[in-house]
Amino acid sequence: MEMNDNPSGEKKMQCSDESKCLELLESILDGELQDSGKEILKEKLAKCQPCFEHYHLEQAIRDVLKTKCTKQAVPTELADCIRQKIQDIK
Amino acid sequence: MSEVQRRKYSQEEKNAIFDGEFMPHIDSMYNFGYRLTFDEDDAKDLVQDTYLKAYRFINSFEQGTNAKAWLFRILKNSFINEYRKKSKQPTKVDYQEVETYYNSDDVHYQSTSDLRAESVKDMLGDEISNALNSLAVDFRTVIILCDLEGFTYEEMAKILDIPIGTVRSRLHRARNLLKEKLQGYAQNMGYNTDSTDEEDE
Repeated sequence: MEMNDNPSGEKKMQCSDESKCLELLESILDGELQDSGKEILKEKLAKCQPCFEHYHLEQAIRDVLKTKCTKQAVPTELADCIRQKIQDIK
Repeated sequence: MSEVQRRKYSQEEKNAIFDGEFMPHIDSMYNFGYRLTFDEDDAKDLVQDTYLKAYRFINSFEQGTNAKAWLFRILKNSFINEYRKKSKQPTKVDYQEVETYYNSDDVHYQSTSDLRAESVKDMLGDEISNALNSLAVDFRTVIILCDLEGFTYEEMAKILDIPIGTVRSRLHRARNLLKEKLQGYAQNMGYNTDSTDEEDE
């Protein structure tokens, strides 16, 4: 992955190694890189507009999946039913 | 489920493991079962089956290891071996077929979408949920495990009995498919999906 030394602080509008960056960003979002990921991420997001946009889209999708795919309410009798069946086979 | 029987737990230990380590995951298990089957009764049966098997094979569970992943693996296997067999619905495209077609783990990562983060944030729970539910079961499964349940790639590999590289590539494909669905909704609702609007300036 190419690091971009752009002293002006402007973001690249084209990512030179998109495939590698996307793979890396997805690993970071999935919590696979931990601390080493954070540094790389900061660098990427500050310097590369396509990476920045991709990261925020992926982050938004993960957030809505987590918060809006409401947990299905568990039928109240299920736990009791399981305990009863376990009692029977003990 | 490991074939190795480590040692025999006493009845008290069994009860403690079952109540303390297995039962707390019933909500996640039911949610997983429901999202696999789309049917409350089938989901109940799957969860109940899973807990009965977990109890029966409790000696092969090593205390202190990840009970949730262990239970999810049993549920996933029950779903594949029993539910899918007896289910009347026609078999959908499955893992192997899809992955052979796509030439396995070697995914070229690419962004396939003009979808905007802002549009996604505005979407309703139903839209997100429908998009997820519309994915083939194998793609749906990896998203549920990763994003809804927070399993790591390594845990997912164990639950699904596939290599980590396959977890990674299947997740990537699943997310691209999900994005296509979401983009369809976004367009229907008139959200701006053009990637060159004012935010880029």
